[in-house]
Amino acid sequence: MSELRKDLVSGRWVIIATERAKRPDDFRPSGGAAAPAAEAVGFCPFCEGNEGKTPPEVFALRAPGSAADTPGWTVRVVPNKFPALNRGTPPPKAGEGVFQWMEGTGVHEVVIENPVHAFELSDLPVAHVRDVLRVFQQRIRTIESELHYQYVQLFKNKGKEAGASLSHPHSQIVATPIVPKRIKEEIYGADRMLRTFKECGFCRILREEEAAGKRLVARGRHFTAIAPYASRFPFEMAVFPQRHSAFFTDVREDELLSLAETLKLVLTRLKDTVGDPPYNMVLHQAPNRALALKGWPDIDLSYHWHLEIFPILTKVAGFEWGTGFYINPVPPETAAQFLRQP
Amino acid sequence: MKKKILLVEDEKALCLLYEEELSRDGYEVVAVQDAEAALAEIGRTAFDLIITDIRMPGKNGIELITQIMGLRKDVPIIINSAYQSYKEDFMTWAADAYVVKSASLDELRSKIKEMLGE
Repeated sequence: MSELRKDLVSGRWVIIATERAKRPDDFRPSGGAAAPAAEAVGFCPFCEGNEGKTPPEVFALRAPGSAADTPGWTVRVVPNKFPALNRGTPPPKAGEGVFQWMEGTGVHEVVIENPVHAFELSDLPVAHVRDVLRVFQQRIRTIESELHYQYVQLFKNKGKEAGASLSHPHSQIVATPIVPKRIKEEIYGADRMLRTFKECGFCRILREEEAAGKRLVARGRHFTAIAPYASRFPFEMAVFPQRHSAFFTDVREDELLSLAETLKLVLTRLKDTVGDPPYNMVLHQAPNRALALKGWPDIDLSYHWHLEIFPILTKVAGFEWGTGFYINPVPPETAAQFLRQP
Repeated sequence: MKKKILLVEDEKALCLLYEEELSRDGYEVVAVQDAEAALAEIGRTAFDLIITDIRMPGKNGIELITQIMGLRKDVPIIINSAYQSYKEDFMTWAADAYVVKSASLDELRSKIKEMLGE
């Protein structure tokens, strides 16, 4: 069982694995048993045909007549076999002196984006990317409505440097019983912008970026990709819906295809520009609607969901950890100029 | 007929301890201390269960498990590691259970029974 512990000063929550037998030499770089690349050993638990090695699927897009946990799927969702957070009812917060903690419950699912090991998200047909996005929506809706977690985080780690232990394309969904600090910071920032601009600050930024064009990466039918003005990392990108919405789950069916087109385009451009870099992609959206509107009544006006994409090309080191400042050696205007080129 | 367990554990004292305890529980235990010896035993014997450490000299346990998948996908595998951090590595999903080593063998025993359907 793990615990969630709150840092009283920063307000940040941390998942602490409280199970026994953790040892200091677990972290020594030379002592680690690096996993072999799945390609090298010819076995991958996410590949079609190896369904028996994953927990039973909770959702899949599959050929008519094909049984659960057998081949015949195109997108498959399974719970994490060895999760950091255990599935369960969100627990109440507890106290220990001045400290706050709670049992580490949550949801941790893996979305296997396609049955073929070698096909990255950007390699897939647009219709398949749309299917993956539709599955993301479906799972988030289900987790929010049935399990009442406050926040559902969708993310993708591609490449070892980005934290992926397996190269078979996949994304992960982690639902937590509290709203993470980074999301709260964005919510408060969005609220400040709403008061200042008298409209959604993200919409205002998007309008200005589209007019200026110098940080614009792509403009699709319903979605726009930019290199953010204060990008922390080289070739960082963000994808915004042009229609204001706080919730990714509100993206309409006709908009999903456009999102798939834009996402495939920017990931392909990133691959072509920087040479298939490792990256992280994260979804930022408003917390569970049923709970968010109680705490932040204006959130559907102030917040604007988006995807953030961070190629791992530099290292976060002491200065960044100490100050929260990031040193980005590639101006976003330059990054966008390269990323715009087909 | 006794169920056959292959135990892969590089620490000699632990290897002996597990071998003794599991034999006392009524299993036929073949204990080896590295992955190469394990693969050789798998070639000779149809085991009902494999228990392996991860951090070992030579091939590590994850490499061993993935090689076993090329030989026999049907045999249940338990990872028995002192380190829980390997749980974050999706390659460990090739195994059927993950036990963090402890002074008590209760959890390991319970997983063995579960894997063998006892």
